[in-house]
Amino acid sequence: MESNNLKKAVLNSALPVLFALIIGAIIIAYIGEDPLATYALLFEKSLLTPKGFMNTLHYAMPLVLTGLAIAVTFKANIYNMAVEGSCVLGGFFAGIVGASLSARMDALSMQAICLFTGILFGVLFALLPAVLKAVFHVDEMVVTLMLNYALQKILEYLATGVFRDTASGYVCTPTIHANAMFNRMGNFRITPFVFIALAAFIIIYLVMKHSKLGYEITAMGKSATFSEAMGMRTTRKIIILMIISGALSGLAGAGWMMSEKFKYTLDFSGNPGLGWDGMLVSLLGGHSPMGILVAAILYAALKTGADSINIYSAVPKEIVSVIQGLIILFLAIKFVDERFGVSGKISEAIYTYKARHKQTTSDQTSIQEEA
Amino acid sequence: MQLLSSILYDTIYHSAPIILCVIGGVFAFKANVLNIALEGMMGIGAFFSVYVTFITGNLLLGFIAGVIVALLFGVMFSLFGVTFKGNVIVVGLALNLLATAIASFILVQMGKSNLTLSHFSVADLQIHIPYIESIPLLGSLLSGHPFLTYVAFIGVWLTWMLMYRTKFGTYVRVVGENEDAAKSLGLKTDLYKWCAVLIGALCCGLAGVNLSTERLGLYTNGMTAARGFIAIAAIYCGRGDPFISSIYAVLFGLARSLAINLAVFAGPAAGLFDVIPYIVMVVALFVASVSQRRHVKVRGFANG
Repeated sequence: MESNNLKKAVLNSALPVLFALIIGAIIIAYIGEDPLATYALLFEKSLLTPKGFMNTLHYAMPLVLTGLAIAVTFKANIYNMAVEGSCVLGGFFAGIVGASLSARMDALSMQAICLFTGILFGVLFALLPAVLKAVFHVDEMVVTLMLNYALQKILEYLATGVFRDTASGYVCTPTIHANAMFNRMGNFRITPFVFIALAAFIIIYLVMKHSKLGYEITAMGKSATFSEAMGMRTTRKIIILMIISGALSGLAGAGWMMSEKFKYTLDFSGNPGLGWDGMLVSLLGGHSPMGILVAAILYAALKTGADSINIYSAVPKEIVSVIQGLIILFLAIKFVDERFGVSGKISEAIYTYKARHKQTTSDQTSIQEEA
Repeated sequence: MQLLSSILYDTIYHSAPIILCVIGGVFAFKANVLNIALEGMMGIGAFFSVYVTFITGNLLLGFIAGVIVALLFGVMFSLFGVTFKGNVIVVGLALNLLATAIASFILVQMGKSNLTLSHFSVADLQIHIPYIESIPLLGSLLSGHPFLTYVAFIGVWLTWMLMYRTKFGTYVRVVGENEDAAKSLGLKTDLYKWCAVLIGALCCGLAGVNLSTERLGLYTNGMTAARGFIAIAAIYCGRGDPFISSIYAVLFGLARSLAINLAVFAGPAAGLFDVIPYIVMVVALFVASVSQRRHVKVRGFANG
């Protein structure tokens, strides 16, 4: 039965991807290119060669972190969009600190300070919507979205004014010191940051699967009102979850700064941004840590593959964004089933399934009666 | 005086697309379908109106295309979110992503970074009302705006009438307040949700047309700049009432207008003025929430 559940979850994530790829193929065929060749290009260079896979893994790490940051809040029905903001803010200040510390400091403590700064600012950014939501019941989704845009403007001002690297020809902050950078391993893009990210992943995995907090997240996701009536302190839980989410996003931003970007530019987080990509990854992985890890790797493969499409074929790499959008669209339908499928107690799952089944059939009969 | 009148003009100018989104979004809000795809519907409407005008050279065709494509997005939203009972937030996110993705895909395919309409001037689309035009402040408030801007402000009243003075509006609100009760009365709840979403899509399409073709005659990626989400915030603050929600939309327009007009005096810190509207919305949401919940004595989570 357990494996049956897993099969269902895998199927729920795989089918949307498949549908999206099929529609993508139709679009590619429509503009007069070969879909199969394009897809071969997309996955071959990003997953099947050792170098490509290592690069994919490198790009997957921030996505694992932002994906987990989304999951811990979304699973509790808190629609926290501040992940993108926390990530960018964390990255920005990690970069500022990394550039302004004394260059003679040893690598280990410098990197630790930078990562800590990133986490700190990530948490700070998530704290305001958390308090507004938990204490004053302000809708967190709209607030976090607004704050994201406000932050984007503020960072734009800081990067073009206060912290601008005047030696550079374009808008960016000073490059961080060599000691604050994570160095590449071999001739792959992958850096030691991967171990830090994986450590964070394991911690969150344990928290979500085997701790009281993890159980409470699931309970809040099912019914926050009921959880509170049962004596859970939802106010405090919301703040704690937002802090965890902010910390993970800040870590992702700092890691991205120290292992890939080395300075803040206006397109630091890319398009549509690490936080938004994390959201897709989390949805794709059904908000479960293991699923997120797999989804992040697949997603990073799409991203690295998009570049090889751009180089080796006439298809615009924006096709990948279209496919991503379609994946989320199709995921939305499966999402409901996913929530029932994931529940630990199988009997409960069967019961809710039956109840739902009964309800839908009764719905149908009532509709027929209406007609 | 010159400054004041340009602040007034810009307030109306920047409020119009948001008001259009607001009056579109209130129906979905009242029908209890959270439509966060307003942004995407506006964006795709903006793109296709410019795209079709660019291809055909016909402004009217462009207007129609923008609205129709936005409606198609509305159909997709209703199909996935209402009929298939998917998570509406996820559907909304997907449509927002798709709108940008489709637009940039077509732009790259055309080999352009943005689309500019050069065969007509946007100044021709502004409607100048005789006599009123020459009154000092009132003139810049009421005259010299494009057609859809007037539609937006008249639409607020129309929406209010539709929502509170017709059977349809009552049914939509009933569906939102208690779906089971509505079902037991024999209302086709899904049908009303579909209608609510489609009205929203129609208005967002108009907002997109207003934003790109009518005001500027060009499309660039990211030009919607979260206006759809600001509209959602305005709807939340106004609890779905068309008039009150529109006032919040105008508030944003005013903040944006101040940011632009005062930027002349502020110099390098000008960029920070753009932050004001977003902060204003957060504060407005906060104040609205606190004042609304002050009398709520029920213990509970965010179900107020």
